[in-house]
Amino acid sequence: MKRNELQNNLAMTVVLISAAMLFVTLFMGYAVYRSSADVWPPMGVAKVSLWLPFLSTILISVSSWYCYQVRLSVAKNDLPAAKNQLWLTTVLGIAFMLAQSGLWFSMKNSGVFVTSGIFASVMYGFTWIHAVHVVLGLFALGYLRWVLRKPAGDMLQKTINVEKFWHFLGVVWVVMFFGLFVF
Amino acid sequence: MSGGYNEIHPEPTTFWSKYIISFDHKVIAKQFLWYGIAFLGIGGLMALLIRWTLAYPGEAFPVIGHLLFPNSAGIVPPDSYAMLFTMHGTIMIFYAITPILIGAFGNYCIPLMIGARDMAFPMLNMLSFWFAFLSGVVLLASLFLPLGAAAGGWTSYPTLSTMIGSPGAGQTLWCVAIFLFGVSSTMGAVNYVTTVITLRAPGMGYFDMPLTVWGLWLTAILNAIFVPVLGAGVILLTLDRVMGTTFFLAGASATSGSGDPVLFQHVFWIFGHPEVYILILPAWGIVSDLLSFFSRKPAFGAKATALSMTSVSVLSTIVYGHHMFTTQMSPLLTQSFMTLTMTISIPSAIFFANWLGTIWKGSIRFDSPMLFSLGVVFVFGLGGLTGLHLGTVTTDLYLHDTYFVVGHFHYTMAASVLLGGYAGIYFWFPKMFGRMMNETMAKIHFWGTMIPLNGIFFGMLMVGYGGMHRRIYNPFVYDSLKRLMPINEMITVSAILMGAFQIIFVINFLWSLYKGKKAPNNPWNVGTLEWTIPSPPVHHNYDVIPVVKCGPHEFGNPNLKTGRDFQYQTEELVQGPV
Repeated sequence: MKRNELQNNLAMTVVLISAAMLFVTLFMGYAVYRSSADVWPPMGVAKVSLWLPFLSTILISVSSWYCYQVRLSVAKNDLPAAKNQLWLTTVLGIAFMLAQSGLWFSMKNSGVFVTSGIFASVMYGFTWIHAVHVVLGLFALGYLRWVLRKPAGDMLQKTINVEKFWHFLGVVWVVMFFGLFVF
Repeated sequence: MSGGYNEIHPEPTTFWSKYIISFDHKVIAKQFLWYGIAFLGIGGLMALLIRWTLAYPGEAFPVIGHLLFPNSAGIVPPDSYAMLFTMHGTIMIFYAITPILIGAFGNYCIPLMIGARDMAFPMLNMLSFWFAFLSGVVLLASLFLPLGAAAGGWTSYPTLSTMIGSPGAGQTLWCVAIFLFGVSSTMGAVNYVTTVITLRAPGMGYFDMPLTVWGLWLTAILNAIFVPVLGAGVILLTLDRVMGTTFFLAGASATSGSGDPVLFQHVFWIFGHPEVYILILPAWGIVSDLLSFFSRKPAFGAKATALSMTSVSVLSTIVYGHHMFTTQMSPLLTQSFMTLTMTISIPSAIFFANWLGTIWKGSIRFDSPMLFSLGVVFVFGLGGLTGLHLGTVTTDLYLHDTYFVVGHFHYTMAASVLLGGYAGIYFWFPKMFGRMMNETMAKIHFWGTMIPLNGIFFGMLMVGYGGMHRRIYNPFVYDSLKRLMPINEMITVSAILMGAFQIIFVINFLWSLYKGKKAPNNPWNVGTLEWTIPSPPVHHNYDVIPVVKCGPHEFGNPNLKTGRDFQYQTEELVQGPV
């Protein structure tokens, strides 16, 4: 492995470890709330409908798959295909954000406000924090689109870094989907 | 993320690119140094205000009291007192010690000591400083809010730090500032970890790295892992304050569905205990090197010292519960945390013994960096020993939240790190600025710091043992604490003296910058890589990347025929006749 590749891989690994620690802390807090509650959701609070979280899971998963395809295309120096796949990745990422907005509106409309207690705090707070990271990820996809405008030596490495971050966001969402919404 | 591949970057030509948004690790190190020293002054002034209030309650602070507190005739009012100890702790830990020990020395020493031309990611490095700068601006801005800055203690425990305990925007800005500082620290950590792993000079194995680099590297690893934990905590606290969530609210303050205030304490100390080592590891590394350099002896058990520092770093991640013995933790947990805490004594004792082994029978040169290093050995020893009382459940239950805790952590985190920082500044100043600092003034500064410092922090141990609680505005309203007033006066007089002696440092620093004797390439006669190049180094550090052939502490080799008592790391280790 060339030194610059090693540097980039290491740096991205440290970034992902740091970001993972942030979410691990949130999940640790969630485990405390869940384990200390008599019932979850607390008495009088309805469970959130699975439809929009499920849709979000599908969208971010497919988006991740297209992101993987971007990397394969870049590795084969097929830039037109990579650009198309990156476009799809981004559109699905935006669709994920729209689904999240829908989720927040649906919770609000069903009477679960952000101030409605610890259950609402977790649902809104955790999804907001994840969404902020997704917005950063969308900026990273935009940056990658700029990188792909013409062939360059470090293009693949940059694609791999953005891909890792995007997959990371997908994995965090899947853990949130099962941890917060399903169980 | 694009980065340097150890190539020579073009030298910046404009003022803006040379001094403001410089990508050069040496310039960024100096930016962090100025930043840290400025905050050290602000935090130090706050300490004097706190101490004045405790020794002379109800009396106006001399000279500037009327200017700072016009509405209370120059007397520090109770709400400002809470704000002062909160901001003093926050500033000293995050905005003074961290920028100087990690930001300045990390940036300056790592590339130079490992034979690199810059950090792996120079632009990220520049951003790291400016995020820290922005964070400092936010924190200072909070001092000018109508209800003042944060006042819930540097730990910002809920419920004190929620809207119920701290109305106004001060605490919110504190959270924002800490989060921004965390982003800066994480950026730095990414750079330090990557740089040490990928940009070491050819021939430099991990155990050929100076122990300073070991300390900074381990610090960066801990930073990358644990700063985001605090990040998560302050985000949730901010949401509680701004958006109305109830993560840390309980009981009557949480109108529907209860959060958990103690959870914040867990989150804070999962970060907070490693943070202690994040701050002290660079000082340990610096002292481990300097003791060898100025004893003219190889560092005794250098590998064991490096591995002990690593062990302490690992153990620091699983002992945080000793900060929370009084939170109704189960006895099983308290005893587990106590046992784990005690195990830290083993690696700590190993490298402490190595320090003593290094100076034992050495040809000690009592130059200022050595004096400050010996000071660290003394104060850290004392701080470490008093930690045993607090790591043990039975004694901690009595001493918790007393000034004994304040004395202990000031000995370990403040005194050790401050003296270690001064040791580093006196040692690398010639390399940084190309001039020598005045040695006589440095020695006066040392004794003027060391003696009052012990007056302050040993006094704190005494009043704490006597039962004085921390964070009480006027403890002497309680009859049982009135007898501690003379010791408190002694502490305050010591603090004023120590503060006054820092003026000598500032004068020496500024005077030496412009008028100090020109520094030779290697004024201290040591062999690490940075002393093989001019003082100050050229923009790209090394014209040719050095090849490392021996360790950093090669002193007193009887087979040396060079007329020197040390070898440069670029020289083949001289062997005796076989």
